Amino acid sequence: MGRLRQKGQAGAAKAYVTRSSAIKKLQCSLADFRRLCILKGIFPREPKSKKRANKGSSAPTSFYYAKDIAYLAHEPVLKKLREHKAFAKKLSRALGRGEWSNAKSLEENKPVYRLDHIIKERYPTFIDALRDIDDALCMIFLFASLPSNPRIPPSLIENCSRLAAEWQLYVTRSHSLRKAFLSIKGVYYQAEVMDQTITWLIPYQFTQNIPVDVDVRVMLTFLELYQTLLGFVFFKLYTDASLVYPPPLDAKRDESAAGIGAYLLQETSQKAEKAAAPKVKVVEIEGRQVSGKDVYKTIKNMASSSSTDADDMDVDVSPVENDSGDAEEEFIVQPSKSDAETTSSLPTLQSLKALPQSINTSLFAPYTFWLSRETSRPIFEFLVRSFGGKIGWPTSSGGGSPFDEFDESITHVIIDRPIVEQPSETDEQREMRLKRKYVQPQWVVDSINAGKILLEAPYAQGRTLPPHLSPFGEYEGAYDPAALANEAAAEEESEIEDEDIEIEDTAPENAEVLQAVATAAVEDSAALRAAELAAEAAGIDPSAFEKEVAKSRRKSKKGSSNDVDETETDMNKMMMSNKQKKLYEKVKHSQNKRNLARSKLEEKKKHLQKQKRKLGQTT
Amino acid sequence: MTVQARSSTKRKQLDHDEPFTAFDESVNMEMLSDEENGEDVESDNGDVDEFPEIDEESSEEDEIYLGEEDEASGQGSDNGEELDIFPKAKTIVSDITSQEKRVYPEIEPEYDSDSSTEDAPNRVGDIPMHWYDDLPHVGYDMDGKRVLKAARGDELDRFLETVEDPNSWTSAFDKKAQADKPLTAEELDIIRRLHANENPDANYDPYEPLSEWFTGKGKEEIMPLSAAPEPKRRWVPSKWEHKKVMKIVRAIRQGRILPNKAKSTSQPQFYSIWSESSSSHAPPLPAPKPPLPTNSESYNPPEEYLPAEEEKKQWEETDPEDRERDYLPQKYSALRLVPGYDRFIKDRFNRQLDLYMAPRVQRVKLNIDPDSLIPKLPSPNSLKPFPVYKSLQVVHGHMARCISVSPDGAWVVSGDEGGVVGLWEVNVGREIKKWKFDGKIGSIEWCPRTDTCYFVVGTEDMLHFLIPPNLPPSVLQLTQSTLAPSTLPPAPETPSPVKWSTPSSNTWTDDSAILTVHLPSSSGLPTQITWHRRGDYLASVSIGGSQGAVWIHQVSRRHSQAPFKKVRGKVQLVLFHPMKPYFFVATQQYVRMYNLSEQKLLKTLQPGIKWISSMDVHPSGDHLIVGGYDRKLCWFDLELSDKPYKVLRYHTRAIRSLHFHPTYPLFASSSDDGAIQIFHARVYNDLMTDPLIVPLKILRGHEVTKGLGVLQVKWCNRHPWLVSGGADGAVNVWCS
Repeated sequence: MGRLRQKGQAGAAKAYVTRSSAIKKLQCSLADFRRLCILKGIFPREPKSKKRANKGSSAPTSFYYAKDIAYLAHEPVLKKLREHKAFAKKLSRALGRGEWSNAKSLEENKPVYRLDHIIKERYPTFIDALRDIDDALCMIFLFASLPSNPRIPPSLIENCSRLAAEWQLYVTRSHSLRKAFLSIKGVYYQAEVMDQTITWLIPYQFTQNIPVDVDVRVMLTFLELYQTLLGFVFFKLYTDASLVYPPPLDAKRDESAAGIGAYLLQETSQKAEKAAAPKVKVVEIEGRQVSGKDVYKTIKNMASSSSTDADDMDVDVSPVENDSGDAEEEFIVQPSKSDAETTSSLPTLQSLKALPQSINTSLFAPYTFWLSRETSRPIFEFLVRSFGGKIGWPTSSGGGSPFDEFDESITHVIIDRPIVEQPSETDEQREMRLKRKYVQPQWVVDSINAGKILLEAPYAQGRTLPPHLSPFGEYEGAYDPAALANEAAAEEESEIEDEDIEIEDTAPENAEVLQAVATAAVEDSAALRAAELAAEAAGIDPSAFEKEVAKSRRKSKKGSSNDVDETETDMNKMMMSNKQKKLYEKVKHSQNKRNLARSKLEEKKKHLQKQKRKLGQTT
Repeated sequence: MTVQARSSTKRKQLDHDEPFTAFDESVNMEMLSDEENGEDVESDNGDVDEFPEIDEESSEEDEIYLGEEDEASGQGSDNGEELDIFPKAKTIVSDITSQEKRVYPEIEPEYDSDSSTEDAPNRVGDIPMHWYDDLPHVGYDMDGKRVLKAARGDELDRFLETVEDPNSWTSAFDKKAQADKPLTAEELDIIRRLHANENPDANYDPYEPLSEWFTGKGKEEIMPLSAAPEPKRRWVPSKWEHKKVMKIVRAIRQGRILPNKAKSTSQPQFYSIWSESSSSHAPPLPAPKPPLPTNSESYNPPEEYLPAEEEKKQWEETDPEDRERDYLPQKYSALRLVPGYDRFIKDRFNRQLDLYMAPRVQRVKLNIDPDSLIPKLPSPNSLKPFPVYKSLQVVHGHMARCISVSPDGAWVVSGDEGGVVGLWEVNVGREIKKWKFDGKIGSIEWCPRTDTCYFVVGTEDMLHFLIPPNLPPSVLQLTQSTLAPSTLPPAPETPSPVKWSTPSSNTWTDDSAILTVHLPSSSGLPTQITWHRRGDYLASVSIGGSQGAVWIHQVSRRHSQAPFKKVRGKVQLVLFHPMKPYFFVATQQYVRMYNLSEQKLLKTLQPGIKWISSMDVHPSGDHLIVGGYDRKLCWFDLELSDKPYKVLRYHTRAIRSLHFHPTYPLFASSSDDGAIQIFHARVYNDLMTDPLIVPLKILRGHEVTKGLGVLQVKWCNRHPWLVSGGADGAVNVWCS
């Protein structure tokens, strides 16, 4: 006989701790426990048997690993939280007694916890941290756009918007943006930094109201962690790109609402080199937008030099950028013209996917954009700059525009309003209008996702836009709008052909006879022979007969073989074990569900197309 | 006693302490409120208010007390005066009592006499005057005479008085005097003071100067309380304090303490945190990323993604937690028309809740082709021959309950519930002969012997042995001699309840039975007859009867016996083992295997079926299939285990009958769903190889009537042909 084992001494009973017992052990409040869990990234676990983990009770509770809680017990932040509790008591007492100086000194020595060690613990390597900044970026961008209120101090919002601007600056600078998607929730961006895809969502520029059922405390705790995390990540990214972190803020530009342009990117390398380099570059710059020699000496700010100086900066940033730079040089001549000429039909995402995916980070390098007043400046400034384009905007969208509306170099105008006839148009304006291409904002995003400059015509001002598809793709076997369109076109053609044939046939009866004969003849050769004779007698074209025979043969073959196979598999299902049967049913169920969704969409599409055709015929 | 005493003392103490405790309480309460609210000033005021109140009370009491004393002394002095003034009394004899009594002379009210101003004749004293409410008088005067109530006018008079008399509003009714008396100026002043919340005593001065009792000039303590000399610490600066201060001073000098240190900044300082090597501790698993947006989330999706009205409604009606996606696809013609997304913060918050509150489980995702789960079996086409189509049909008037195929496989007898037994040919279905019995036919079985030719029909309480017509004479003779020998075997010693009877040889016809076995009465319909392979023994199972439902009959000895004295459970079916002297008995849930020669139980098989309906043994004798009314079919390997080797459930209704083909590797099962399932069942001699079971074909052709489908299936011995009898009265032959 083995050793007697007592219940609850080993296994799940020891490995798991309920939340209430964890709180009791840590001797802190539930709010503090939550805060700790958020900061440390500890989450509940699902034991295999709840009953075994909870002393025989199956009441719904959340379980944590006992080890996790044991680690929490030694957390310096927990100590600080306790100190803070004592401090709060002392402060309230001092205030209550009117001991102002005492209160002031207490306030000055308030316990503050730092999250550095937690960042290091949770993300031992930089890649780990980079992989996990999606949520952090979303939160930062959200809070950067929130109005301040008593719970959300303006300093917090300021910090968030600073971090947001720093990230955007880095992405534009390193040309790491890959995809963008205009959704109803906001704009999704996907960047690739150090081989990690980072996706974040920025809401459209509207005032957000915090709903009542949202616990701001939780959000702020997350934000606390995210701010620290992003600070460290950006520090590393900036220093790796030999830039000064944090980038200094130009107060004057900030006041004129220059957005991310208010931050100055400074190189950490020696000033002497800096001074020399731009002098060489002057020729390339072609004298455009040089704000002053002093700027070149010390500062290279984004607003003036991102596009022009991108190349030489990239060279010392990373070898990857090097390649892109080369590619760009080759690309300059080709992209717009050749593509524009060759792609006659509407380029869809599907057709573009088939092409080898070469990332062209300087897609917009040859172009200069002008943002119309009604388009969102932060979105398109970021997009165009990330792909090497130059962009300007009217002062109503904020200051810091590198050029004005009448600049000669402008090639594209991003405009989002219906066409309005302008009768009083001077020749000059007309000339300018004809020189430029007026495109709707979707063109920029679609071009980015396609990896090449798309034809401007379908996106021209006032046109009904082609659908905007997600660049992130869907699950395998999902409905593909582009594929169906092609198929449908093919089918239509075939249908039309059939119709033609039928029209060619003199009598509809003849066709019926033909069909009946052909279907009967499939079975055996003697019958086929007889049928042939019958067809001849009926005066049917032999080629038509052969076609029909082949058709019906195909049909019958398909049907019969399918039938046989199905009955066989159905019978073989009898021999499955119960477990296998259940698994099979489960898998089949999910497959069917997907297929159903897909077929539903396909049907809708067909229906819509039919309607459109009808409309076209009537008109 | 002591306890009582103590409690009383306690009470006293309490009484004594009451004002103090009350005071304490009030103070305590104030302190509490102080802690909570932090409003010192108000509570202080309260304290100040409390003290003088108590003082006031005490002073008032004192005053009252003094007043009383005054009165008493006044009275005392009055008495003294009266004693001096009073004239001497005369002593006379009373008329009534005839005793002496003192009589004082009448008092002459003089001008200075006290009583002249006193106009209150009533001398009842300070008593509640309502005692006199019901009486005509209100008291007594000095002489002991009643003072009668003055007549008072009615309400109208009183009202008129108040109108006429200007002083009436300052007068009050004096009950003792029974008249309205105007209030004095002092009394009116008291009323005014009470009304104004002032002290009613006009002489009270709340601001009188403090009289110093213990302090002030001339009251200083001159004499010291103790003779101890004044300690040094009173005038020498503390050494320890100096040390402490010096410690701080030194720390400041050395820069360990910054006197005006900069405020603790909440701004985190960033540095290259990942430059130093990380710990060997494995990082926690990263949280799963949220799914990427799909086409339907676009601001300008293809039109087919837009939900129809019904879908929209359905989406709105479902609970937010149950929705497949948390948004409704929408289409905007231009980017400028896209509104703000109102659930943005909520979405973010939900994501965060997921991050820190949702339990995370690592699940292995099965990425398998579901078709790979279906077992790979040889194709039915490679396992031919097996019955595929219905070749002919013989129709009975009633449900065809039972069928049997002759050992040579050429003839079929089928019996129905109407009592008709038909004999027909398998190939063309021509009916040769019909027999008619009373009541239902329960079972029918052909004798497996090939040298003789007869079959047994089970009807109510009886088994009939019938000989088909048109037999060759030799066979007929042998059959007749077997069933009805000229010399009957000797009757058994113990009389059996089963009677064997043969009609006399001259009455033998084709229509009647040559031999009839009378089972004990009320044993009911024999539902099953099964032959031993030699054709000498047959066993019958009847539905009625209790234990004696199973009988084994020996034809040669014309003898029947009940093999079991006691059977647990109700016997459903019995079977002879094809090789060995074994006997299978199926009760409702178990199948028992007996050795007949040794007369003992070999094993009990547990198919796990609720109610066994059918059973058959493989010709090799090593495998047994059992079917149940709960749709299950169990395949037993008798060598292997008591538990089924394979359990199949493929019929949608109860299994009715099972049969192994005697020569081909086939077996068939029929069910109440009207289908017959043909299986290929190959059994290997090699013990290591499992039997191969392949479903071959589902035969449909019987109609389901009254919830019953195909009642019995039987194979033809020499062909892969199947005969099936259905509840629709049809008997079908299925050919390959």
